[in-house]
Amino acid sequence: MLWLSGCVSAPQSDALLTHFSQDAGAKPSVTLSARIQLEQVPFFPQEDFQCGPAALATVLQASKVDILPEALVSQVYVPSRQGSLQVEMLAAARRYGRISQTLAPNLEGLLAQVQAGKPVLVMQNLGLSWYPQWHYAVVVGFDLPRGEIVLRSGLVRDYRISLALFERTWQRAEHWAVVLLAPGELPTDEREQAYFQSVSAFAAVANEDHGALQLAYDAGLARWPDSINLAMARANLFYTQGDLSNAIRGYEEVIRQAPDYAVGHNNLAQSLFDMDRLEEAKRHAETAVAIGGSFSEDYRKTLDSINSALQR
Amino acid sequence: MKLNSYLRKFATTVLLAAFSMVSIQMPAMADIVSTDQIATEQRSQDQRDAVRGFLDRADVQAQLEARGVDAADALKRVDSLTASELASLSEQIDTLPAGEGALGFVIGLIVIFMLLDIAGVTDVFPAL
Repeated sequence: MLWLSGCVSAPQSDALLTHFSQDAGAKPSVTLSARIQLEQVPFFPQEDFQCGPAALATVLQASKVDILPEALVSQVYVPSRQGSLQVEMLAAARRYGRISQTLAPNLEGLLAQVQAGKPVLVMQNLGLSWYPQWHYAVVVGFDLPRGEIVLRSGLVRDYRISLALFERTWQRAEHWAVVLLAPGELPTDEREQAYFQSVSAFAAVANEDHGALQLAYDAGLARWPDSINLAMARANLFYTQGDLSNAIRGYEEVIRQAPDYAVGHNNLAQSLFDMDRLEEAKRHAETAVAIGGSFSEDYRKTLDSINSALQR
Repeated sequence: MKLNSYLRKFATTVLLAAFSMVSIQMPAMADIVSTDQIATEQRSQDQRDAVRGFLDRADVQAQLEARGVDAADALKRVDSLTASELASLSEQIDTLPAGEGALGFVIGLIVIFMLLDIAGVTDVFPAL
């Protein structure tokens, strides 16, 4: 029977609960409370197989977006599959002005989000890996002394199941978990790159909403002041708004932090070029070309156009 | 049953790769490198690290050698994988269930990328 144990274990729940009981309710592994229940999160009993629209409306409403499941059906429900695709769930949330942040595959991190007041949209496989029964639900609470997690799920408002059972069903859906962030809100975890990726996916939808993007980048940079990616994204936002002096200031700050970051030099060169500061532009374009990398063709183009402007 | 979905994923990857070759031509105007490009590059970098980490594993290297592929060579060629090939491989690795069969499949995928290269279908491993 040993081979079976690999399939049914719930290692994260075990670790979490062991730790919790040993500390006798004081402070478990990180900073989780014993019990959390987000009562104010609404509940939409799902219709037919439409757990996707119901769960998505739940987290959108909790994030103050006024939307009902019916309005989401055409956006996320695929009748032929009797279900919703994860990418479409993420994309739909972005269309309503929310940043969809996928979480690390970590149960404790998931519960930490709930404790911070964020209901977590999760995917579960209620069946088996070879006979999948996909399901979306929303985590709204937990009770560590009783080893339980609380979900808005299907037709049940407060669906309580054991943490271990939840972990197994969640694990079979590859630990898919998402929180929705209003621009300016941050996830509780420390993954700067994941946040940057989520915001840049959001930017592709909200590229006209400069105010929202500004809020998202500013919040990220307040938490991660050394993030080159977020600093570049903010400077690029200034550039696309035509605010060249702020863009230049941003790029200069980036290359002060990371003198060998070619993209920073290239974008600075382009901005200086746009301001007709050709000599300085040329220096930075040359630096970018010398460093090279994935975008070396772009750097070459920047340098060429600066050179031809200098010859005129 | 598992194999079937793997095959479908693989077919999708090949199609994606074919499309990305068409759409990669950009207009020849100087511009800043966009945030979207930076994000895409970041993802490829993470995936490349994941594939490298996978190829660094002793059990994986043993399986590659068993198929006559030099592990060090394979590792060197990770740099020339396209974005969609990287995405596919790293996804397969991420979702790798425990067990020999699945591991063998991903390694098979790597070997197939190399064979397609020899046949001139892809250009993943230029040195072959």
